[in-house]
Amino acid sequence: MGELGKLHQLIIPFWGYNITLNLEVMVMTWIVFMVLIILGLFASRKREILPRPIQTLGELIVSMLYGLTEDALGKKLANTYGPLVCALFMFLLLSNWLGIIPHLEEPTKDLNTTLGLGVMGFIIAHYAGIKSKGFKAYISEYFQPIFFMMPLNLIGELAKIVSISFRLFGNIMGGSIIILVVSYLTYSVALPPFLYAFFGLFVGTIQAFVFTMLTIVYISVQVK
Amino acid sequence: MNVDVQTVVEVAAYVGGGLAMGFGAVGAAIGEGYTAARANLAISRNPDISGDIFKNMLVGQAVAESASIFALVIAILLLFVDVPVPSVLKAAALLAAGLSMGFGAIGSGVGSGYPGGEACFGIAKQPQIASQLTTNMLIGSAVCQTPAIFSMVVALMLMFIDFGAAPLQPTWAAYLGAGLSMGLAAIGSGYGGGLAAGASCEGISRQPKTAASVTTIMLVGQAVSQTPSIFGLLVSFILMFKSFPESTALSAAMALLAAGICMGFGGIGPGIGNGMAAEGAVRWVARNVEHAGDLMRIMLVGQAVSQSTAIYAMVVSLVLIFVV
Repeated sequence: MGELGKLHQLIIPFWGYNITLNLEVMVMTWIVFMVLIILGLFASRKREILPRPIQTLGELIVSMLYGLTEDALGKKLANTYGPLVCALFMFLLLSNWLGIIPHLEEPTKDLNTTLGLGVMGFIIAHYAGIKSKGFKAYISEYFQPIFFMMPLNLIGELAKIVSISFRLFGNIMGGSIIILVVSYLTYSVALPPFLYAFFGLFVGTIQAFVFTMLTIVYISVQVK
Repeated sequence: MNVDVQTVVEVAAYVGGGLAMGFGAVGAAIGEGYTAARANLAISRNPDISGDIFKNMLVGQAVAESASIFALVIAILLLFVDVPVPSVLKAAALLAAGLSMGFGAIGSGVGSGYPGGEACFGIAKQPQIASQLTTNMLIGSAVCQTPAIFSMVVALMLMFIDFGAAPLQPTWAAYLGAGLSMGLAAIGSGYGGGLAAGASCEGISRQPKTAASVTTIMLVGQAVSQTPSIFGLLVSFILMFKSFPESTALSAAMALLAAGICMGFGGIGPGIGNGMAAEGAVRWVARNVEHAGDLMRIMLVGQAVSQSTAIYAMVVSLVLIFVV
């Protein structure tokens, strides 16, 4: 039970500040990167008209996510943001599934990962908004409906980062805490595999999808 | 009367366990009753497939019950918890764990009854897509459980994390505030998520071809309805893990307790309101799928406006924690 709420950290003192590195999370994130890169290489190497299974898998994922992006953003913007959406979804999906392998942990269990992705989505959405509407129209939106609503509109925008990143973090971390406690109480007999299937595979898939969809939708709200 | 620390911890654990299961029993029962009522209506419409409808009702009710089962787990853990180092602080944490789980199970329990009921009714209308409706119902009700899962996580953290040697004043109030913030904020979000899920089952039974769009917008709508409970989770994390300087003044403790209560109550309305917005959008996407993009955008803008009250509550909570 002692591991609840503990992290393996490397703390480097640097000019009076402490640089903290969450080593486990970094290693797990790199594992996900590696798997994705290898999958991508195998799926796109030797492309043929009659695709092999792994190429079919790649085409399936990419075409599904492109379709979703196109529905929300239109054809032109989908070409710009489609690759981002595919990469984001596959990274999140593999990250959320990683925990079902023994000794590996989900990188999304750490708030730094999800907050980083949330900030990334936020910046991209606002960049897209400025690019499509122009800076003046973008700024004037904050002063709607009356000028003194500006601080609240600003907080409302920033709260989107909080909600999108804490949603993923809370679900994945919550699942792993529940699994940890139940495994401890039942001495890892019978129940944990079902919990892994539910929280790892099912909730992980849904939350990866929700995070990706919300990122697309935030872009589309800014653009239109 | 002479009361030692061990007794205080036991009392808090028993009271917490009672509250967790007592409040936790409320929501799921209402949700399951709604499912059963819709199942009766469905069977009276289409008695030939009563077996399918009955099966779907039982599956839906089983999922709706999970919020109560979370509460049962926490209540039993609280009754038999073994505290290595009893302290008054731990007693406050155990009581808060019970409050968090008890309140947190209400909304998800009621909410996840809706998809079950609408799926039963949909099967009566369109028996050939029964399995599709059941799948959509399971996804919708499982996502409804998220606020209850957040509450369970906060309860487990309050019970099992060793918070070390935090000063009793004002940390006890911070723990109680953490439990209340998460528990109360989960009520609205769980219920609102259920409204969206119910509308999606109804919509799919009306227009099975729109299933993909309807499920997508349901998930987005539910996710946004959960935002108030996520603010509650954020405030309760801050209250649990921020270390507060020792102060014997009552006002410091009350500020932390008030921060939790403020975020908790402030999250109820926006959760339900966002759920209503999502319900409307999902229902009309099923009838007018060509304009799904517009409907989703309007839903999100509407939800953002109805969420602003939750944001005010969060701002006031954060001011109470960090400034006052």
